[in-house]
Amino acid sequence: MKIPVYLAVAQWALLLALGLLVIILYRQLGRLGSSKAATELGPKVGSRAAEFSYARVGDNSRHYLTPGDGQPLLVAFVDPTCPACEQLVGNLTLATDAGDLAGLRVLLLTSDPPSYLQISDTFRRTPLEIGMVTTHGVREAYNAVGTPLLVAIDGEGTVRAAGAARELQEVRAFSQACVLPSPDTTLPVLQGAPEGHER
Amino acid sequence: MDVFILAAKSALAVMLLVAGGAKLADVPGFAGTVRLFIPRRVSGQMREGIAVGIASIELLAGAVSLSAPGWSWVNVAVLALGCVFVAVSLVGYALYRGRSCRCFGALSRRKFDLVAILRSAVIAGLAAIAVLRVRPADIHLNAAEHALLLVVAVVLVAASFTAARALAVSHDAHPEWAGR
Repeated sequence: MKIPVYLAVAQWALLLALGLLVIILYRQLGRLGSSKAATELGPKVGSRAAEFSYARVGDNSRHYLTPGDGQPLLVAFVDPTCPACEQLVGNLTLATDAGDLAGLRVLLLTSDPPSYLQISDTFRRTPLEIGMVTTHGVREAYNAVGTPLLVAIDGEGTVRAAGAARELQEVRAFSQACVLPSPDTTLPVLQGAPEGHER
Repeated sequence: MDVFILAAKSALAVMLLVAGGAKLADVPGFAGTVRLFIPRRVSGQMREGIAVGIASIELLAGAVSLSAPGWSWVNVAVLALGCVFVAVSLVGYALYRGRSCRCFGALSRRKFDLVAILRSAVIAGLAAIAVLRVRPADIHLNAAEHALLLVVAVVLVAASFTAARALAVSHDAHPEWAGR
């Protein structure tokens, strides 16, 4: 029985594609199985938050942020085309309006130019401060390998919680972590929450 | 020469199936890319509908192209898709340089850059090659072989969907944050 040339060729293309997908799945399985996967997003809880500079979206003024100046901080690393980020920004805005974040400074950080923010209603309308990072190496310092990433920093500049939060209750939990009295009472469960990107 | 033409055709069909399956695994993410190319007033639901539509077109073109190689009009349709890819790459490079295109959902971090334009051009070139005629005997399949290829196409889409979904729930789903 003669096999058509097309079938012989197509089976190699299919085999190659399936092989690549198996490799991707195998690598992902390895990541999920390792303890590293749970802690790979965001800075380590208890570490000192890094300083950085940013340009404020709107007036393009330059600012240098030094965590530890006495005011607790909520820093959100976001991307306007990321639906989970829109949800986080919306909930941060809600929490601010409701007074849940009183006493905290909330800063949304993006690496996108201001024109990109215009494509999102949520980003365009939020009254929260949005900064475009101008310091090289912030990604590494905060381990911002994905978005959204929310980092709670206390008044002394110590990271108290970090992870892929986006729900309102998570925002509230992070805001409370900023002002909790002892590092022992931080929220390690929120560190790099693996469901943060599920949409 | 026929082998080369058929290799181009099957490779493109497989690529379309993988891309379509991966896009369906992360519809909101791909809708974020769609948003870059459509008017701002279009609602989120509509954007997701467009994203699903694009993924479905890719799946349909890929499945038909793979399982029914004798239908020459499919080759023309795939060539048209290739031309659209080139146009999208050019517009993306001009307006959103450095942004992820999410062309393969969470499977890829490819961005709108010069390499993406080159890649799209190669795809369009392969699609143009696939339009060339081959000996009918080389693509003559019986019903069982058509069905087998269709089943394998479904398996490939399922594998692509699963792999993309597995990546989408990880922290690398939105590697846009460059920290520059």
